[in-house]
Amino acid sequence: MEVMSTFAFVLIVITAMAILIFRDWRINAGALALQYLAAFALVTLSWPIGLAIVKLITGWMATAAIALTCLRQKNTKDSIESGASLVFRGLSGLLIILLIFILTPTLQARVFPQVDLLILQGGLMLVGMSLMQLGTNSEHYLVVISLLSFLAGFEVIHAALELSMLLAGLMVVVNLGLALVGVYFMIRVGEPDESSEDEALA
Amino acid sequence: MTLTTPMIWIILPLVVAAVCVVLNKRRVFGLILTSITAFGLALLAAFFPEEMALSIGPLALVFEDSLTILGRRITLAYEMLPFIAFIFGMLGLWGLSSNLPGVPETFRPIGLIMTASLTAAMGVEPFLYAALLIETAVLVSIPMLASAEQVNHRALLRYLSLMTIAMPLILISGWLLTGVVILPPESPLIGQAAMLLGLGFALWLAVFPFHSWVPMVSHGSHPTVVSFLLFILPTTILVFGLNFLNRYSFLRTSEEIFNILRLVGTVMIVFGGVWTALQDDLKRAFGFAALVETGFSLLAVGFSTEGGLRWMLMLFPARALGYWLWGYVLTRFEHHNGSLEISTVKGFARSYPLLSVGLLLAQLSVAGLPLLASFPIKIALLTQTAGSGGGVGIWSFFGSLGLFLFTIRLLLYFVMPLDDEIDRLWPTLEKTSEFLPVLVLVLVLVLIGLMPNTFLAWIANILTAFPQLQ
Repeated sequence: MEVMSTFAFVLIVITAMAILIFRDWRINAGALALQYLAAFALVTLSWPIGLAIVKLITGWMATAAIALTCLRQKNTKDSIESGASLVFRGLSGLLIILLIFILTPTLQARVFPQVDLLILQGGLMLVGMSLMQLGTNSEHYLVVISLLSFLAGFEVIHAALELSMLLAGLMVVVNLGLALVGVYFMIRVGEPDESSEDEALA
Repeated sequence: MTLTTPMIWIILPLVVAAVCVVLNKRRVFGLILTSITAFGLALLAAFFPEEMALSIGPLALVFEDSLTILGRRITLAYEMLPFIAFIFGMLGLWGLSSNLPGVPETFRPIGLIMTASLTAAMGVEPFLYAALLIETAVLVSIPMLASAEQVNHRALLRYLSLMTIAMPLILISGWLLTGVVILPPESPLIGQAAMLLGLGFALWLAVFPFHSWVPMVSHGSHPTVVSFLLFILPTTILVFGLNFLNRYSFLRTSEEIFNILRLVGTVMIVFGGVWTALQDDLKRAFGFAALVETGFSLLAVGFSTEGGLRWMLMLFPARALGYWLWGYVLTRFEHHNGSLEISTVKGFARSYPLLSVGLLLAQLSVAGLPLLASFPIKIALLTQTAGSGGGVGIWSFFGSLGLFLFTIRLLLYFVMPLDDEIDRLWPTLEKTSEFLPVLVLVLVLVLIGLMPNTFLAWIANILTAFPQLQ
């Protein structure tokens, strides 16, 4: 069990870093799917597998919705970025990792004594990385992926605090709703601008 | 036959919303269905018998106040019905204006779903799960707010992000607070829980510095839709916040927390007031004015021990009517003029005299002009604030002048003739169907201003649902 949770934590760190650093939707969607798998592994430490798997399925559904929309968008550009921006984001991610390793033991001792340290670190890693991502970009699908990651991190921690069917159900609604909102934005952006069409016709 | 109150005020609106979605091309049908449902539910809530039983001819209906879903309960108690009547009544009013030019077809079903979600949030047990229902309402609201502009998308993403970040903060703080009850008052956990809770509410209520989405969304989205959003979200979030004050005595008895609330409220009034006065865009000004109103609500909560909660609640109906009128006239002006920059509404008092008066009075009513709806409450609140010392009173007063100044600026533009119109007759372009709602609403605002206790005091009855706050 311990090996599995350690592996899940490492997977969370790698996938969160990948989402933070890269801007290619294929990498991000793949990383998000793996991230949900790792989050599921951490949630199984607190919840029965039958209930925890709801989070995995929901996460994968959300990921699939976003990935398929990106795939269908004709104007999705593969952005070419300078090496410096990748390095900058990588360093900021490392800073978050460092910060979380420093803060979590104290946080566990003072606020969440009943929560396993790996669960706390995994959850906060997702929260921290996604907040950094939210602060550094405004692209529609990346914002939504960051919010989904943020919620996944919160769910990992909250699962260790409380077991509730209604809460799990409502979180499914929120996660899928968020993914649908992301899809909605991406489709709206992909639509031709009505005003420019009108001007062209005139 | 036994029914439950959540089936009436949560499930039924959701069913009607589904019908509206299916028949979304039939706008008039949607308008009638939405308005009849909303007004019907409002009337039912307003006149619901305390014994929770209704007889319609031979049919005897007995109501229970709880509905069990996935092992948890949603309870809509009799004491909360005045508030439910209020939000459904206002939904009906906004429903009536849902056929105005440019209002998205999604507005009617989304309005119903939001109101149902937020009603559920008022009654879900444990009450903390309301955070998820509020988040659901936020997610649902996105399609009605979205326009084709990229700037608008950025605003909505910011709104979505801040609201989504708030939800876990509320849930975690709620979990911490359950343990706080048994802790000694000097425990650091109490402060940490209160800080998380405050941060969550600050994000939800768009408290400075988390406010930036409000003017952005206000600028980019449809005025009718924005006015509904800025009415329903802060109103229900503030009422939801009463749960915390009611349940946790350390929050109720902490002088520091009330001082912080007063300070934050004053900062919002001053900040929002200054920015409102300086705005050149009518829609952005509305957004900043909404921030000032949130500031007044927080200020009122800060004076809870002096009856501030009654003022906070009594401000809701006056504010809602003002917002509706404001959104209505902005919609009409945007349709006629295209732009809502202040420089482009020059001479509007000549072409659209009654609509112009409607906009000015809506703003003045929200600002608290004597004889209009918000005045009796705001004057009581400002008097209390002035007596409390510490500069809060004087700053709140100056902050609240911001909307007055903006209205005076707007009035000057409204009456300013265009260069080629100086010697010409004033052609009136407005139609009776456009200004009739304005006349009715202005009359209602004046009546409320003249008889505030008759029209506003009933909503304070919901405090009976919070026994520790009466």
